[in-house]
Amino acid sequence: MRVVLAEDLYLLRDGMTHLLSAHGFEIVAAVASGPELQRALIDEDPDVAIVDVRLPPTFTDEGLQAALFARRRKPGLPVLVLSQHVEQLYARELLADGAGAIGYLLKDRVFNAEQFIDAVRRVAAGGTAMDPEVIAKLLAGNARNAPLATLSPRELDVLTLMAEGCSNTAIASRLFVSQGAVGKHTASIFGKLGLGLSDDTNRRVLAVLAYLNGQRGHQR
Amino acid sequence: MGGRGNARAIVRGLALFALGPVELVLFAAHLAAIAAACVGLVLLFPPLAERSRRLANLARRLAGEWCGMPVPLPYRPRPAPPTPGPDGIHRSLDGRRLFLTARMSGFERRSRWLWEDPATWRDVAWLLADPLVGGALAILPAAFICGGFWGALVYGAHGGEPLGWITGAMGIVLGPVIAPRALRLHGAWTRLLLGPASATALARGRARRHWLGEGLLSTFRCLVLGVLSPLAAAQLAVCLLAFVLTGPLIAMRVAVWARWLPNLFRHKGREWSGLDLPEPYLPVRGEGGTGPEGERPATPSAWWAGFSSRARSLGYDPATWRDLLWLACQPIVGTVPLLLPVAMIGYGVWGLGLPAAEVPLGNSHSPWYGELFGSVWAALAGGVVLLFAGLSTAPVLLRLHGRWLPLLLRPTAGARLLVEREQLAARVERLTETRAAATDAQAAEVRRIERDLHDGAQARLVAMGISLGAVGALIDKDPEQAKRLVEQIRDSSAHALAELRGLIRGIHPPVLAERGLVDAIRALALDNPLDVRVDADLDGRAEPPVESAAYFAVAEVLTNATRHSGADRVRIELLHTGGLLRITVLDDGGGGADPGMGSGLRGIESRLGTFDGRLAISSPQGGPTTVTMELPCVLSSPRTSTSSGTA
Repeated sequence: MRVVLAEDLYLLRDGMTHLLSAHGFEIVAAVASGPELQRALIDEDPDVAIVDVRLPPTFTDEGLQAALFARRRKPGLPVLVLSQHVEQLYARELLADGAGAIGYLLKDRVFNAEQFIDAVRRVAAGGTAMDPEVIAKLLAGNARNAPLATLSPRELDVLTLMAEGCSNTAIASRLFVSQGAVGKHTASIFGKLGLGLSDDTNRRVLAVLAYLNGQRGHQR
Repeated sequence: MGGRGNARAIVRGLALFALGPVELVLFAAHLAAIAAACVGLVLLFPPLAERSRRLANLARRLAGEWCGMPVPLPYRPRPAPPTPGPDGIHRSLDGRRLFLTARMSGFERRSRWLWEDPATWRDVAWLLADPLVGGALAILPAAFICGGFWGALVYGAHGGEPLGWITGAMGIVLGPVIAPRALRLHGAWTRLLLGPASATALARGRARRHWLGEGLLSTFRCLVLGVLSPLAAAQLAVCLLAFVLTGPLIAMRVAVWARWLPNLFRHKGREWSGLDLPEPYLPVRGEGGTGPEGERPATPSAWWAGFSSRARSLGYDPATWRDLLWLACQPIVGTVPLLLPVAMIGYGVWGLGLPAAEVPLGNSHSPWYGELFGSVWAALAGGVVLLFAGLSTAPVLLRLHGRWLPLLLRPTAGARLLVEREQLAARVERLTETRAAATDAQAAEVRRIERDLHDGAQARLVAMGISLGAVGALIDKDPEQAKRLVEQIRDSSAHALAELRGLIRGIHPPVLAERGLVDAIRALALDNPLDVRVDADLDGRAEPPVESAAYFAVAEVLTNATRHSGADRVRIELLHTGGLLRITVLDDGGGGADPGMGSGLRGIESRLGTFDGRLAISSPQGGPTTVTMELPCVLSSPRTSTSSGTA
């Protein structure tokens, strides 16, 4: 699987290159700045791009802008955004096009190699991988949201994992319940939130996030 | 056919005439209601005016049906019933008055509508004029016929004069003949006052009201200033007497006390003539003397030093001497010209006009009183002319007086310079204060960061190093235990990172660095449990320190709103106009935020103060709370990637 990696800190870039190579990924470009990243994204046509939000030369949100720009050129280009901090604002911007194949994780998550590699694979396959902290903020921010308040604690757990991008099987194993129970919970969640049923993981997450977004969508 | 029409016209004329007394009674009622409104009983006029429109409408309908002169309705459309605002409070149309009930609000709207409609006043004028003019027109045909019969009977039948017969017959014949025309004329008369006024007539009416209003207002102001002017002479006399009789000790206090009159004139000049007349006095210094609280000085020499320095600062102040000169001049310059229009109006109305009106009662007059060149009518005309002359000269004289006042009451250029210097000194003082506060705050901040790093991340890293040493020792002997330790170290590093993230957010939030103020506040809004709406209109970014101060100020206000106000919705507006960044945070909570300010708000104030920023809070009990922050700053060239579509 061909990967473009953008990270300005040499140690982190090197470490991630080793980690990804060890898991059978092919690093076609490992770049350290925004303009380089933009060129690599257009020229190399990777299967997935792993991008740091803050990059030289401006050290603002250069990486994020490059990723958003590339996705406008190539809709659905899988991008996994890494950052030292996560913001709902950025998550919404990344999800706004509704094309999926988006990941947004704290850099800490790289420590857990299996979960990180799993997230990369999921994004490359067109799924989503949202950092638990983003999901927690999304849910906390919508605490007064009436339909959300009707969910049982268990259903909230399921919704959280679902929003992170887990499949029913993964949710079942994380919560130590049967798959059938997870299926029942998801059906109940969709019913309470007024969402149509769908068994596509990616569309499920997008639907959930779009729903959460919609609640506060009047933000200009 | 024609005969019946004429007879009907006569009867209709009589009916219209019969309306006259009703109109007169209503007119008297209107006068009473207006008089009541003048003394505060505003509840009477609106219902009366609204109901009397029925009579006017009847007259309009009769003019159309009987006189063939349809009269359209001139009234302005009725105001819409009041609707309460989102807070359940009713507002008047201009938004300046608040009402708790729909009834009061509705009454306010209705009475405003009635008072301001010119058609109301034309109705009132009609109530008075119609019984005289319209009534005469309506009764004319019937009067002709009656007069004809009377003439024929008295002069013709009894007196035997043929002329009586002839005129009587003419009256009897003419009455029915003119009846339809008289009726039509009555209709035209009705339309004259009760129809909608033309635009030019309205404009003329407005101009006249404006002229009259300005004349009356200026006359009143002339009267006030004219009466106050002679006081200056008395004031001057008191000052001089105090100096001559008691010496400088008392005179000095008297001189300061006597400033109230010039200050009053300055105030009125600012208010009534739009003059730029600040108080010109230099501050009176009296170090060591009796303070304003009147505490005794420690020693006689200290007292003397205070006294002499105060005396010096009074004596050196040019405003003191210019005031004295003004006190001497004002009675001469002010009194006569200012009282002239008042005298003209007074003598015109009282001396010439009113006695002429009493002539029918058989009074006689002296040449000075109610008579001009031996003629009462000339006196009446003269009175009217004097009234108008007084009303039109009053504004002119007031303007002239406005030219005179600054000559002596304005601060001299030197005094202005001194005042500017004082202001500069005050500004330096404030800058020193805010700089001290800023350095203090910064030092405290650095200490806090140092402590957090020392107790948090640094300690964790040390612990991780120790654990790694243990792993090195265990890895061969007890691999299971080593694995558990590695897990712990990983958790520890995650915690350390989380702590560092929190610390960084407190120093300078990453979004602020990456996206600027607006997006940073949006991110803040998204993370807040309340429904926070952000409206921003900034084309560019402020200096980083200003952005940081504004960000933390908003964060603090938002935290307060979340914790204490009980609000559901918050609205944040950012606007940059005239070199000022204005941020308004509005919440729909219970209000009652302490204007004495808690420590948080005071922190914001000192934070903003460093940049000459200001903070204003309006938080009445029951809400809503508005916090306005202003920061002077310039926006640099825009990096327009910010509003790339949230939501």
